[in-house]
Amino acid sequence: MNIKKLYIPLLAAGMLLGACSKEKLEPVPQTSLPPSEAFTTATRALQQLNGVYSAFKNGQFAGGRVLVYQDVRGEDFLNLTNNGVTAFLTWNFTVTPTANEVQNAWSAGYAAINRANVVIDGLANSPIDAAVRTAYIGEAKALRALSYFTLLQLYARPYADGNGSQLGLPLRLQAETNIGSQDLARSTVAEVYTQILKDLNEAEPAVLQTHANPTLNATRIHRNTVIALKTRVYLAMGRYADVITEANKIVPASAPFVAASGVPNQLLPSIATVFAPPYVNNEVMFTLPFTTLDLPGTQNGLGHYYNPGPNGNGDFTLNTTGNGIVANTTAWPTTDARRAFNIASGTSTFLRKWPNNPGSAPDWTPVIRYAEVLLNLSEAIARTTSGVDARSLALLNAVRRRSDATVTLAPATNADLISAILTERRIEFLGEGLRTMDITRLLQPFPAKGSVSALPATAPQYIWPIPNPELITNKAITQNTGY
Amino acid sequence: MRKLLLLLGVMLLSLQLLFAQNRTLSGTVTDDRGNPLPNVSVQVKGSSTGTVTGNDGTFSLSVPSNARTLVFSSVGQASQEQAIGNNSSFRVSLQSADRSLDEVVVVGYGTQRRREVTGSVARINGAAIKDVPVQSFDQALSGRAAGVSVTIPNGVLNNPPVIRVRGVNSISLSSFPLVVVDGVPVFSGQAGGTASNNVLGDINPADIESMEVLKDAAATAIYGSRAAAGVLLITTKKGRQGRARVNYDTWVGWTKAYNLIDMLNGQEYTDIKNEGLTNLGTPPVPAPDLPARGFFTSTDASGRVISTNWYDEVYRTGFSQNHSLTVSGGNEKTTYFFSGAFTDQEGMLKKNDFQRVSTRFNVDHKVNNWFNVGGSINYTNSDNRAPNTGSLPGQAFGIAGLGRLPIVLAPNVAPRNADGSYNINTVTNTIGQGNNRTALSFYNPAYILNENKFSSENDRVLANVFGSVKILNGLTFRTVYGIDNLSVVNKEYQAALHGDGVQFGGLVQNSQQTYRRWNWQNLLQFDRTLGSNHTVGVLLGNEQQSTFQEGWGASRRQQADPFYDEYQGGWNQIVPAGNFLGENYLVSFFGRVNYDYKKKYLLSINGRRDGYSAFAPGKKYGNFYGGSVGWLISDENFFQGIKGTVNNLKLRASYGLVGNNQGLGDFAYISAYNSGLYGEAATLFFNQAGNSNLTWETSKKLDVGFEAGFLNNRLNLDVTYFNNDIDNLILDDPQAPSRGIPGSVIANNVGRMVNKGLELTLNASIIRNRDFTWNSSFNITTLDNEVKALAAGNSDIFIATSGLERPSIIRVGESIGSFYAVRTNGVNPANGQRIFVYRDGRQVQYNHAAPAASRWTFLDGTVAPRGADQASDGVVIGPALPKWTGGFDNSFKYKGFDLNVLVFFSGGNYVYNGTKAGIRDQRNWNSSKEVLNRWTRAGQVTNIPRVVFGDNVSNGSAIIIQENVEKGDFAKIRNIALGYTLPQSLSSRLGLSSVRFYAAAQNAFTFTNYTGFDPEVSANGNANGGPSVDRNSVPQARTINVGLNVGF
Repeated sequence: MNIKKLYIPLLAAGMLLGACSKEKLEPVPQTSLPPSEAFTTATRALQQLNGVYSAFKNGQFAGGRVLVYQDVRGEDFLNLTNNGVTAFLTWNFTVTPTANEVQNAWSAGYAAINRANVVIDGLANSPIDAAVRTAYIGEAKALRALSYFTLLQLYARPYADGNGSQLGLPLRLQAETNIGSQDLARSTVAEVYTQILKDLNEAEPAVLQTHANPTLNATRIHRNTVIALKTRVYLAMGRYADVITEANKIVPASAPFVAASGVPNQLLPSIATVFAPPYVNNEVMFTLPFTTLDLPGTQNGLGHYYNPGPNGNGDFTLNTTGNGIVANTTAWPTTDARRAFNIASGTSTFLRKWPNNPGSAPDWTPVIRYAEVLLNLSEAIARTTSGVDARSLALLNAVRRRSDATVTLAPATNADLISAILTERRIEFLGEGLRTMDITRLLQPFPAKGSVSALPATAPQYIWPIPNPELITNKAITQNTGY
Repeated sequence: MRKLLLLLGVMLLSLQLLFAQNRTLSGTVTDDRGNPLPNVSVQVKGSSTGTVTGNDGTFSLSVPSNARTLVFSSVGQASQEQAIGNNSSFRVSLQSADRSLDEVVVVGYGTQRRREVTGSVARINGAAIKDVPVQSFDQALSGRAAGVSVTIPNGVLNNPPVIRVRGVNSISLSSFPLVVVDGVPVFSGQAGGTASNNVLGDINPADIESMEVLKDAAATAIYGSRAAAGVLLITTKKGRQGRARVNYDTWVGWTKAYNLIDMLNGQEYTDIKNEGLTNLGTPPVPAPDLPARGFFTSTDASGRVISTNWYDEVYRTGFSQNHSLTVSGGNEKTTYFFSGAFTDQEGMLKKNDFQRVSTRFNVDHKVNNWFNVGGSINYTNSDNRAPNTGSLPGQAFGIAGLGRLPIVLAPNVAPRNADGSYNINTVTNTIGQGNNRTALSFYNPAYILNENKFSSENDRVLANVFGSVKILNGLTFRTVYGIDNLSVVNKEYQAALHGDGVQFGGLVQNSQQTYRRWNWQNLLQFDRTLGSNHTVGVLLGNEQQSTFQEGWGASRRQQADPFYDEYQGGWNQIVPAGNFLGENYLVSFFGRVNYDYKKKYLLSINGRRDGYSAFAPGKKYGNFYGGSVGWLISDENFFQGIKGTVNNLKLRASYGLVGNNQGLGDFAYISAYNSGLYGEAATLFFNQAGNSNLTWETSKKLDVGFEAGFLNNRLNLDVTYFNNDIDNLILDDPQAPSRGIPGSVIANNVGRMVNKGLELTLNASIIRNRDFTWNSSFNITTLDNEVKALAAGNSDIFIATSGLERPSIIRVGESIGSFYAVRTNGVNPANGQRIFVYRDGRQVQYNHAAPAASRWTFLDGTVAPRGADQASDGVVIGPALPKWTGGFDNSFKYKGFDLNVLVFFSGGNYVYNGTKAGIRDQRNWNSSKEVLNRWTRAGQVTNIPRVVFGDNVSNGSAIIIQENVEKGDFAKIRNIALGYTLPQSLSSRLGLSSVRFYAAAQNAFTFTNYTGFDPEVSANGNANGGPSVDRNSVPQARTINVGLNVGF
């Protein structure tokens, strides 16, 4: 036999051994970083912090839907589209543990919490400047606190129900990055609030007083933001004295109401400019930025729900009949500039606070602004004083007269004052996600609207159920009563 | 020296040709049914003298006078020898090889005679699918082989079928078999976006010679790591010696949706919805009174009440045509096969089209007696165009899906206004609501069908080259290098005025996907017969496969002018879309030993070691093996007495361990941080929780069976028991959402599942007369699937349909994807309320008209503490996977006529009829005619609750209910074809060697009690965990086609 023929397979075998490269068995992803590289530079540390913001900003959470859910549970909106995917079930109080909003808001909220936990852990060992590290960790903690606070409003009974003794949330404070224990019972509402306040109290001295530019002051948490958030948290707990203590750090005793330290937060002269591009101003204390490359996602943007086509889907119109705030021209005269947001279209009136198309020209989503601090403080004073407190009334009128100089509110009694403040909140923060909190913190019923009847504070539907996936995987969890 | 010998040989041959006294033999070769067999090789035994038969099965051959015997052989037929004697005319009938022990069967990295095969291999002849009006060959495999279940999800063109070899073989990874074309594993699955694009549609069905399905460990272990879900080996046609043969095959066909459900007309809809409003306590209020509420008919220009049948706006009769031309031939050195084909198919849905242009060239060449080379090249362009069908996985709940729109849209409004413009409401981005005062939802399909467009186009080259060298007698080295280069362009345009495009101000999106693979195999094969009794075959091999995949693209938004509907037009924004980048690599070393003693006792052992890049370091390699034994009892002496009755009996058994990595992400094991944006700032975030122990899924396969032939193979029986024990299943281990792990899952080898069952195949040649033959083939497979272990303390896994409702559960002790629903107990005759059953057995009823807090009551009227829901009250209703599937294929032939009827059947399972929930929903959606039977008076017994406007609970939209879980048994006449072959005399007068006409129907009839469109359905496509879900998808298509096969 021809020996030459043996060369061919031998040659082939040789080539083959050379080609079985170990490298090809160890491909390195070109578009993601391994954990060992994730916190190694100042750039990456900052990007990690931004990652926590972006998780908080998820369109299923604070970037969009969670605001909608909290507002449409109230009486000021009517559902037009009957779409079970876009808050219809929330609006008419028929959500179940498998409803998509119940599942998605929970998951998105905890995703933000875990990102904060991962970054708090990761930054601790990151070789960056210590002061920067402290500030970043403070911001992450504030975001964690705000995420827990947001989830509490939907999934747990209000603090007022038994002083926080009801079931709250599972309190996850460790970075979860691997297969590990699933089970964690719900802490009480009070325990969760304690953690929220602990995070905010630690964040307050840690975060910067001001960031490098106005955009960052609007999109990143600074000291005044933390203080403002604390006024909201204390108000939700009914700890009015603490609201006053915190608010006083950034609200002077009398007009002009401008924060004395840090970012000079104040009311803008015109409400129209607060939510308009460039979205960056001294009234906005924290807002979530969107760009065409960073959209809230399909059916997530505020405008999707409230704008009629073509800039939205018009899922919800303003309730222009009965108890809808828009219908109340006595409390909210037609001379008020804030009515300019209410745009009639066909037979309906839509809220056009975020008039642009969230799929292509997304408006930014507000988190907290100075007007809220003023009204939080006004209410806290009113509730801790008798009669009509002058400073409380001045704060209230500061908000009212900014939009309607023809009116000066003059309630006759303490009760009238409180009522006027609550009404003012409905007008001022319409669509900004505060309505549920303003109803539940006072254990009021959700008022009737359209074909939906009123819901008493004792009804199980007063809060959402714990979502099904959590029930299945977390054996220590407890479902809310009635679900 | 060699050259000299060769020359001498040629000279001797020439001399023989010159001086031998030649004579001419002629004859006809048919199959056992009397059909002429083309391309049969006719050869003088022991010489190279030979020819092949023409399309009419005839041959003519000049042979030397010393020729003694003719050998007739053909792929798919058993070879036969005939003594020449004094005959000059032959009439030879070849035995179909599927009943023959001498059939050549393609196995992993080689071929075997059926007699020697001890693994479980099913063979499907290419001829069986050649003329079937499908887009890809895999759609034509339903019912054709035991153990191979093929479900067509719906009637969307080129939608990948669900193929399962002996059940679902994975939970998270792919259960689709590995597809190997001419020895090279190719890409399969869905590459399109909104337009379905099954990349197996790139293979022209007419190019396929045979398809082998490898089912057990003995057959599949040689594919080691990729074999758990079975292997589908495609062998394309090769040329044969003889003059060039030209064949032209064509058909034209008409396609329509069938079994559509009747919906309420305009007046009925109006009345039912108003009744619902009245029952809610908010009766309709005619204009101009306030509040604006209620449903009111409108009239068209001629004053008639508008009653739109929305099916007419969406469906059509699609026309299709198919043409295929092949040229093949060769001489003793070189054979070739060439094909060119074109198909242009319209689907039953408007704007759903499929076009394919393909060409293939296969060549084999014997350089000399020790060196062969050859190869093949196949280029295909496939263009898939579709509207948003709402029928692909993930689309079920889209409000633009064309499966859903015609069954939810209000029929009392028209698609167009009297002036011809679209009836749309641009404020709410819904259909215009005519005189209705309560708002309508959903888009106008007339607009989105006309304006929007989606396409997915492939350019693909499949090619391989091989060389084989005979080193020593019995020792051959073979090397094969193959590539699969697939380039896909997906395009999408959605207009700005109405529909899904509104939110983007109009959108166009183009993305380019590239899939590139090379595969190199080096095989050393040794075959030796030792003495007269021992035959040994040894295969040693190495295989490497490298796959690269990337996608990139962008979406442009904010249409500058409605004129622009292409990416390059005027748009104000650009956003990245469709980006991915990955690679993987597989290296393998394998071997196989076949041994037999006296061709009676057979043994085969194979082993393989695979390394795969996507597994964790230290866990990359897996070892796999298979072993099998066979015993040809019928060759034993003691058997000879009954050989007249049982002419063949073989027992076989196999066991082995194979693996699965198919469908695993390229970087599945790593923990990773990805980048994104927070406004304009860059982000980096924890994106994947990895698992440093991630490794192969494994499958232990046991297979025991026998094959028996009776009455000289007139009846053949094959019975096999199988048991696949699948372990280390990689699951997206569900993490408590409160852990905040990205996606709330971590991939982990935690699951275990068993598939066992029985396969039975019975082939019979029932009537075999000269003019009339009847052949019948029946197969049935039973399947018992049981999930044995799951992640995290065996937590149930719920499989969401399109991210929303979760009717399917993966639970230990149950069949995968069983239906999990709240039990229902009809409608309470007293008050017309749906009765639900708590898990503890207590019954509650639902009244949507009551205040929210008191909607749920016990049957005595007391308020229930909570509503029924799936988490608290769900129970397993039954399996979603069929317990039995099979086929019954009958062929009749009378003179020139042939009739083939293929019945496909399946059952023992349930189907979740989510579509039924939709067509009983009491929001503004339309309902089926059935809703006219709603409860209206006390004591009335009916299955439809009292209608209350807005009620989405009683019908099962908000909660998965048992009412919507139905038995899925069916039998379907998948294919029926009647053909006529012109008599030889006539066709030759036309200058043609054969002509056959035929007419055929696909999906002619379905026999079932299922109330939806069709129980053969899969809204979740090929997803393992959610089979038999029917949710808003289009029905199956019925196609009638007529065709022509011409041989020149």
